[in-house]
Amino acid sequence: MSRKFLLGLLAVLVMTLLSACVLPAPTSTSEPSSSAASSEDEQATGNRSVLRVPHFLARGGAESLDPASPTEFSYANYLLYDRLVALDDSGVPVPELATAWTANEDATEWTFTLREGVTFHDGSAFDSADVAYTFAHLLDPATESRAARTLSLLVGTETPDPQTIIFQLEPGHADFPLLLSSRATAIVPADSADTIATTGIGTGPFKLETFDPEGTTIFSANDAYWQGAPALAGVEMPAIADSEARTLALQAGQIDVLLQAGPTAADLFMNSDDYTVLSFPTGTWIGLSMRIDMPPFDDARVRQAIRLVTDRQAMVDLILNGGGRVSCDTPVDPSDPYRWDPEGGCLQDIEGAKALLADAGYADGLDLTLYTSDVLPNLIPLAEIFQQQAAAAGINVALEITPADSFFAETAVNEAFITTGWLGRPTDEILNLVFRSTSPLNEAKFQSAEFDQLLDDARQTLDLAERTKLYQAAQQMLATEGGHMIAMHINEATIVSNAVSNFPARSVEHIEWYNISKSE
Amino acid sequence: MGNLLHRFILSLIVLGLVAVVVFVLVEALPGDAATAFLGQQATPEGLAQVRLRLGLDRPAHERFFEWAGGILRGDLGVSLMRDEPINDFLWTRLRNSLLLGLSAALVGFPLAIGLGVIAGLTRDRWPDLTLSTGSLIGMSMPDFVIATLLIYVFSVQLRWFPAVTLVNPDAPVLELLPNIVLPIATLTILLTAYILRIMRTGIIEVMRSDYIRVARMKGLHHVVILFRHALPNALLPTITVSALTVAWLIGNLVVIEAVFNYPGIGTLMLSAIQNRDLPLVQSIAIIMAVIYLTVNLTADLLTLALNPRLRVRG
Repeated sequence: MSRKFLLGLLAVLVMTLLSACVLPAPTSTSEPSSSAASSEDEQATGNRSVLRVPHFLARGGAESLDPASPTEFSYANYLLYDRLVALDDSGVPVPELATAWTANEDATEWTFTLREGVTFHDGSAFDSADVAYTFAHLLDPATESRAARTLSLLVGTETPDPQTIIFQLEPGHADFPLLLSSRATAIVPADSADTIATTGIGTGPFKLETFDPEGTTIFSANDAYWQGAPALAGVEMPAIADSEARTLALQAGQIDVLLQAGPTAADLFMNSDDYTVLSFPTGTWIGLSMRIDMPPFDDARVRQAIRLVTDRQAMVDLILNGGGRVSCDTPVDPSDPYRWDPEGGCLQDIEGAKALLADAGYADGLDLTLYTSDVLPNLIPLAEIFQQQAAAAGINVALEITPADSFFAETAVNEAFITTGWLGRPTDEILNLVFRSTSPLNEAKFQSAEFDQLLDDARQTLDLAERTKLYQAAQQMLATEGGHMIAMHINEATIVSNAVSNFPARSVEHIEWYNISKSE
Repeated sequence: MGNLLHRFILSLIVLGLVAVVVFVLVEALPGDAATAFLGQQATPEGLAQVRLRLGLDRPAHERFFEWAGGILRGDLGVSLMRDEPINDFLWTRLRNSLLLGLSAALVGFPLAIGLGVIAGLTRDRWPDLTLSTGSLIGMSMPDFVIATLLIYVFSVQLRWFPAVTLVNPDAPVLELLPNIVLPIATLTILLTAYILRIMRTGIIEVMRSDYIRVARMKGLHHVVILFRHALPNALLPTITVSALTVAWLIGNLVVIEAVFNYPGIGTLMLSAIQNRDLPLVQSIAIIMAVIYLTVNLTADLLTLALNPRLRVRG
């Protein structure tokens, strides 16, 4: 019996060894075959190559090419359409389809001059009627656009000539051009509401060839593009829903780029000779939300103690392996001109937290239940690390992990203490969306007339320096009185094959696709 | 004949139960199609509006009976996430999964039976030890590990086959073929590992039996002994186990299709559950149940055909 067992064991060992020998050996053969495949590409498309970028099938096949649709096919729409306004690396609005803009004194009327000589993919000319139509379509309740709430201040448009559009706002908004950098406001041709979801006719650097959200959607270069002909012959965008499958497809050379790659994938390609990992800060943030209308967080001292007890740098190091930026309770993107950072940062202060808790009547310790979920990445580790850090100040945190599916719709609505996080948005949008008294998405139920007034005043102030002061004062209020502990902004990674050039280390929303090229 | 009718009616009852249980389970899950659609932007008003549009404001039993009534007329209902009739896109997905499953069965069953016979006949000698150890390894590795290993060797290193499928669900079978090699290999390894062991045991049992000894003493050729006398009897337990294995493979299809990005009913089921698309989840569950019942029924009929003792004289 034992002899049979030993023989079996030997067989297992031999097989393991054999497979170990098989695995690394064929590395040398991979290169000739891959270059053979790409030389075929070259013949087929002249001297420009086709870039292959997968999308995540996030809408499960209901992907729409209407940029205003709630199920918009975001990656495809970035290639097909242009906005009036783009953002530069430091978050400042720069011309795209608009060349210049001015506002009246109270920022209630904005006049945009439009670029001349721009045509849509069907050859028709782009003018102010298309812009007016785009915004009417976006604000049409039947469109159900997610951007409609932010743009509800737009009450009318006027088109005095084909190259000019006037937006009327109520109330005024000094940063209106920033709102127009949202991809939901991408310009579609007039009277296209019934067809745009499948035709994808825009003014962007690539034209739609085949629309196939579940298979591979194919784009060809728009050689009449107003910034010049793209450096790629086209783009192929296959649907790969599973993140593991995307990583394997990249390793096998079936795709060239992996956008919004998770940390696991980024680590895998970090030391590769054939791929480059581009990592860059984003406005995406995570933290804790405390309901200021529920005990014990109705006491501002308790909320402040929660902020003081947190060691944010330790969280960034432990959760993101350093791939993030500490936030001192501001939701504003680290690269945004309005970002506020206190002098000296926001270091952990256990004694300060204890003193505040003693003041508030919790000298003998405080028991809290923190609700978390894997509805967004990193929330559960954040809760676990906070639990450890809070213990030092006598705060006993019980963790309650709830299902992701109902976290925002049920848990976040009912519980006093939750982990939370939001994707990056311009300053005005994120402050109004999540922190304004009247917003239905104000998760901490932060109520402050002063804060709301600061946001309103900032919108009315055309002077940039003055406006910056107001936005920073609002962020400072959040850090001292608000209902959030915002720990960090998260870096994002793009993994790119080294055959690809000019791929920017920027959020996918702000990539200039016409500039990217691919060799071999 | 009456036996068959009895089995058929029983199967229908099982299908009805599957429909009810799946409906209740998905209803009991936290969240619905509206919360899945709105995500973090879910406000009470927004949720109410989406529920109204999707018809989710109506009571659960009403929605169930509407769907059940539809399926009796051959109408699977309308997908909530795509807002299009399920009949329009489900069947090509099923075709793709069947292509995968049947190809794996076509390769896997003969291979497993053949290798099982070899292992059984060479009991405790090196062919048996190699095959048995191999099948033990195959059985103990999770499906996604086998799939990832195959992709690593044959797609990443050797670049013989694509790692993931990048074609449309409606693509012609010819276009799907290069993509199904690795998924079939994965399924075949899983299938073979289990059935090989059962077949081996069956052969060992039968070869020890008195009638084989008698056949040997009669001087029959060993090929005749194997195919006429040993194999039909050794196959009996294998068929039952094969039916169970196929049922278990239907579950594995979800994992394997996800890893290979294969456009079958497994990946469709995943996204349907994620989006809380109840009519679609229901429809796929019913189809999987029908396949399961059909396979079981076929296995029983085969057993009946191979084993005269089980036949009831009419």
